[in-house]
Amino acid sequence: MKILQINQLSKRYGTIKALDRLSLSVEKGNIFGLLGPNGSGKTTTLAIVLGILKQNSGSFEWFEGKYGDKARLRTGALLETPNFYPYLNADDNLDIIAHIKGVSDPNHDQILDLVSLQHRRKSNFSTYSLGMKQRLAIAAAMVGDPEVLIFDEPTNGLDPQGIADIRTIIKNIADQGKTIIMASHILDEVEKVCSHVAIIKNGVMLAQGNVGSIINDDITIEIASEDLFSLKNFLSDIPAISQVEQQSNKLILSVDPSFSAAELNQLAFQKGLILTHLVARSKSLETEFLEITKQ
Amino acid sequence: MFNLLQLEWKKVKGYTTFRVLFLLYAILLPSMLLVIKRLPDVPSEFGSKDVFFMFPTVWNYLGYAGNWLVFFFLGFLAVLSISTEINNKTLRQNIITGLSRAEVFQAKVSYIVALSLAATLYYVLVAMLIGVFNTETIYMVKVWQEWDMIPRYFLMCLGYTSLGLLISLLVKRTGIALFLYLSYVMFIELIIRWAIHKNIVSNKSMHFYPMNAVEDLTPFPLLTTTSDVVKGVDFDILLTPNEAMLTTFVYIIIFWFLSYYILEKKSL
Repeated sequence: MKILQINQLSKRYGTIKALDRLSLSVEKGNIFGLLGPNGSGKTTTLAIVLGILKQNSGSFEWFEGKYGDKARLRTGALLETPNFYPYLNADDNLDIIAHIKGVSDPNHDQILDLVSLQHRRKSNFSTYSLGMKQRLAIAAAMVGDPEVLIFDEPTNGLDPQGIADIRTIIKNIADQGKTIIMASHILDEVEKVCSHVAIIKNGVMLAQGNVGSIINDDITIEIASEDLFSLKNFLSDIPAISQVEQQSNKLILSVDPSFSAAELNQLAFQKGLILTHLVARSKSLETEFLEITKQ
Repeated sequence: MFNLLQLEWKKVKGYTTFRVLFLLYAILLPSMLLVIKRLPDVPSEFGSKDVFFMFPTVWNYLGYAGNWLVFFFLGFLAVLSISTEINNKTLRQNIITGLSRAEVFQAKVSYIVALSLAATLYYVLVAMLIGVFNTETIYMVKVWQEWDMIPRYFLMCLGYTSLGLLISLLVKRTGIALFLYLSYVMFIELIIRWAIHKNIVSNKSMHFYPMNAVEDLTPFPLLTTTSDVVKGVDFDILLTPNEAMLTTFVYIIIFWFLSYYILEKKSL
């Protein structure tokens, strides 16, 4: 089932185009990463599909329209900052969320355990540290056992321990088979957690698919030789090489993984080309991301 | 609707400002009238001080005292509890959690209606108690002679809180919203009426403004008989109770409509 379908969504803030005909779709069970630099339109996209911002054009649909405008009762979301009643404690704040979700007889033990806030459940929200606020926000998103969870920059502003905690929590949620949509500007986070990824920049979708296809399996080989010109000519005859790029006195190659650096070295030697430099490495999401967003 | 009112109750029951403001209203309403007992006697040509505490006039005097208190405490409460929800982004979170914008509007309206109802019931209770203890011979006809003060008082409460609702949605900052609410009731409308409207058309039409109508719902009782005291005005200085009720009612509907419209369009 399609959990979320976004069609040609556009949003302007004055003269600034925050979103430009953005389309994407999230399937049930996906851990969907929305990846992009700061200000690329991730939060704007989530704010629109969560009903707090109005788009200028385009449309979106939750759960193939099955629940109409009550769809948000089946999603749990943390958008930007955790928003709670500062003068109420964790339990009372979660009660309000349960009330809206229509959860009769709410019991928060399990979710407060998940985010390790049991011991502070009776303290006012205003006394919480940033990490605790963030963890409570994740707990709040879980109230009513929603089918879909939406996290916007869930590790923003946290210390390394806090970041590790939140990632563990998200992975645990994912293991329960829930659909998760997560916006992040941290590649490592998306690479570690997500099954699918959409890369956006300046409100435009650059690429989307499963993490494997976006981060393709090509390996990168760097080579150099005294005679770069002949080397280039020689490379253009090898079908396993999909891309050649010159960086100062080196050539950067995208190569099919079935083709090895040793094979390349041997072929070059047979042609009388001596390589002065040869490094092979698999591509990281980071280089992919930079490559894609450079366009 | 009741479900939404329960939700609002969960939000405000732990809110200190809510408790303090409502408690102050509760303490000050009887106090403002009873303090007159401590004042020296009025000259006999004006009659006795007893009119303040006797049936039926206790309804009018307590209603006038209540008008000031409701303007301050209930109006502030409406502005503050809605404005802080916008600033804490909890209203935004309510929508993310699943409320529709229409439900947020219904919740807020049911909140101010409940608030006004509670304030009115308390007014009835206090008027009854003061009346019973200060009227020598109690005739039921006298007790209920001014019964229409009760719906008028309720509309007065709803008028102030509805303006509070609109302003808190219109202005984001809590401080500015509060300041605007105060200035509109105390100065802005007066200036528009007396300095602008009266210079263009000098007749009773200058009274049909929202907060003037709200004030005229429970006016100072002596003013109703001494209209001609104000120089340079050859028409009544007050709206009649029925005019005030109808005018207030119409403005409340307009305030609600505008509030709903803003809430539908607003990026939260």
